[in-house]
Amino acid sequence: MDLFLQYLANGIVVGSSYALVAVGLTLVFGILGVVNFAHGEFYMLGAYAGLTAITVFHVPLPVAVAAVIVVSALLGWGAEVILHGPLKNRDATSSIISSFGLAVVLQNAALIWIGPEPQLLQTSLSAIPVEIGPVFMPLQRLMLPIATAVLLVALHLVLRYTWTGRSLRAMAQHGTVARLCGVRIKRVAIVTFMVAAALAGVAGFLMSSVYMVHPLIGNMIVLKAFTVVILGGMGQIGGAAAAGILLGITESMTSAYLDNGLRDIVGFVIVIVVLLVRPNGLFGRKADRS
Amino acid sequence: MKQPVIAFSVGAVALVVLLVAAPFAAGGYETNVLLQALLYTMLTVSLNLVAGYAGQFSFSHGAFYGIGAYTTAIMGRDLGTGFWINLPAGIVVAGLFGLLLGIPALRLKGHFLAIVTIAFQSIVYLTLTQWVSVTGGQNGIAVPHIGAVGFGGHTLLGITTLRGYYWLALVMTAIVLFVSWRLVRSRIGREWIAVRDDETLAGAVGLDTMRAKLLAFVISAAMAGAAGVLSAHVMQGVTPDDFTIWISCSVVAMMVVGGRGTFVGPVLGALLLTLLPEFLGGLAQYKMLIFGVLLVLAITLVPEGIVGRVRQRRGGAR
Repeated sequence: MDLFLQYLANGIVVGSSYALVAVGLTLVFGILGVVNFAHGEFYMLGAYAGLTAITVFHVPLPVAVAAVIVVSALLGWGAEVILHGPLKNRDATSSIISSFGLAVVLQNAALIWIGPEPQLLQTSLSAIPVEIGPVFMPLQRLMLPIATAVLLVALHLVLRYTWTGRSLRAMAQHGTVARLCGVRIKRVAIVTFMVAAALAGVAGFLMSSVYMVHPLIGNMIVLKAFTVVILGGMGQIGGAAAAGILLGITESMTSAYLDNGLRDIVGFVIVIVVLLVRPNGLFGRKADRS
Repeated sequence: MKQPVIAFSVGAVALVVLLVAAPFAAGGYETNVLLQALLYTMLTVSLNLVAGYAGQFSFSHGAFYGIGAYTTAIMGRDLGTGFWINLPAGIVVAGLFGLLLGIPALRLKGHFLAIVTIAFQSIVYLTLTQWVSVTGGQNGIAVPHIGAVGFGGHTLLGITTLRGYYWLALVMTAIVLFVSWRLVRSRIGREWIAVRDDETLAGAVGLDTMRAKLLAFVISAAMAGAAGVLSAHVMQGVTPDDFTIWISCSVVAMMVVGGRGTFVGPVLGALLLTLLPEFLGGLAQYKMLIFGVLLVLAITLVPEGIVGRVRQRRGGAR
């Protein structure tokens, strides 16, 4: 039972990172209809931005987080210019291919200029152990679920109570009507991409003390995030958060009780099964807008 | 009416002569690049059947390619069979997996279909890396040369050299092109186009749309399997990393850049995206980077593909 709780906690930590990445992905999909394959690169570059801030510039942790958010948000802006600006009003396949191209560019740029050696982030927080009953983890890891909760609550409040949030939700419901009502689409698109990239960047930074960072980590994380988005229902933020944490727990349990090799497969198998039974996702409403 | 046909035939014959003679003029490196281009051409042309003509976007072609390659590798290792038995086996096995995925997946549309095929691709890749006792894990499996090609007790040629593989690939590409040419001009091809243009209408006039889509999916997967069998022998081995989601995306990209739903487009796209980064000179390090940039530019500036754009210029005839 003690071990079970430990696995559960590990699953929640990893699942929090999935949730953060997937919420951004589903935001961009739900509001703009863009399927962004390069989303994993926001995660990867966010991790590198944080690593650089801490190891090269020796800034304190909050400053590093701020740096990660700024760098990722700028990346998100750039991605909007490439993926959404010229491609809106096209089918989702165009954005899949274009973002695949962007992912290739960013990965290879990172391989060339940063190098392929994996790195691990050590901060002062990783030395502080936290024990809650039978569960043990370094404070650095515990930061992940905490940060996820804070960021998602903040996102929810912004979407609910600010004008920016209202225009985002209006766009998500009906792009044309939103535009007729005076929503500035260009601005909404840029904000959406910036928020999505910042969430993924923070996830990447916080995970950089759990898993090694290297230029190709974005590949698997973006596939996992797609899994989560489908399970949560396309464009559903709450669904993505819940499904992300559930996937983390499922993976942790699979690797603990079944076979470590099955860990990465289990999510994809669940996706195929779920889509066959409930084509709109576990928490999804009808998402087919065609 | 006659003259374009003659011009086209002369052009085609010249192209074939040029392709057949290419290894004599080119060095080993260039021949190898051309061989890769041929493998990608087979993949792209076969994907075009299901995605270009039947309108069902699949991101799992790299998986079917891998299933073909691993079929020949595993059969060669465990049963001792050679290329000529493994080739039909690879085609059948890849086709069966196409059926296995197609039956459930083709009930979905658009990006849902895209993502289920992405999930399938990931499952196949992860199985190849994890099921070590069968697939050899990350180390993969060594595959022998195809060796002697005999007929009636006589050895005609031995396929052990790069040139031998190149010519074999050329023949297989020609067969894939011919089969897909016949298919898209048959009743089956017209059914696919009907499903792509308006699935509801196609169903309403009594067409079995599910059957049409499934057929495209299976044939397309089987052809990718054939390319996979060949590639395993060309590479002298298989490893999971040759069959990732990035291969699938590259194949989709080649098809779209050339012009999906056209006959020449996918061939053009495959050649262009394989050859162009290679011949940009001593920038090997930047090859993939340039590939990515080309891809983004192509999809942004020429979304209908090169052949599609040319047709639009000529007055919008489809």
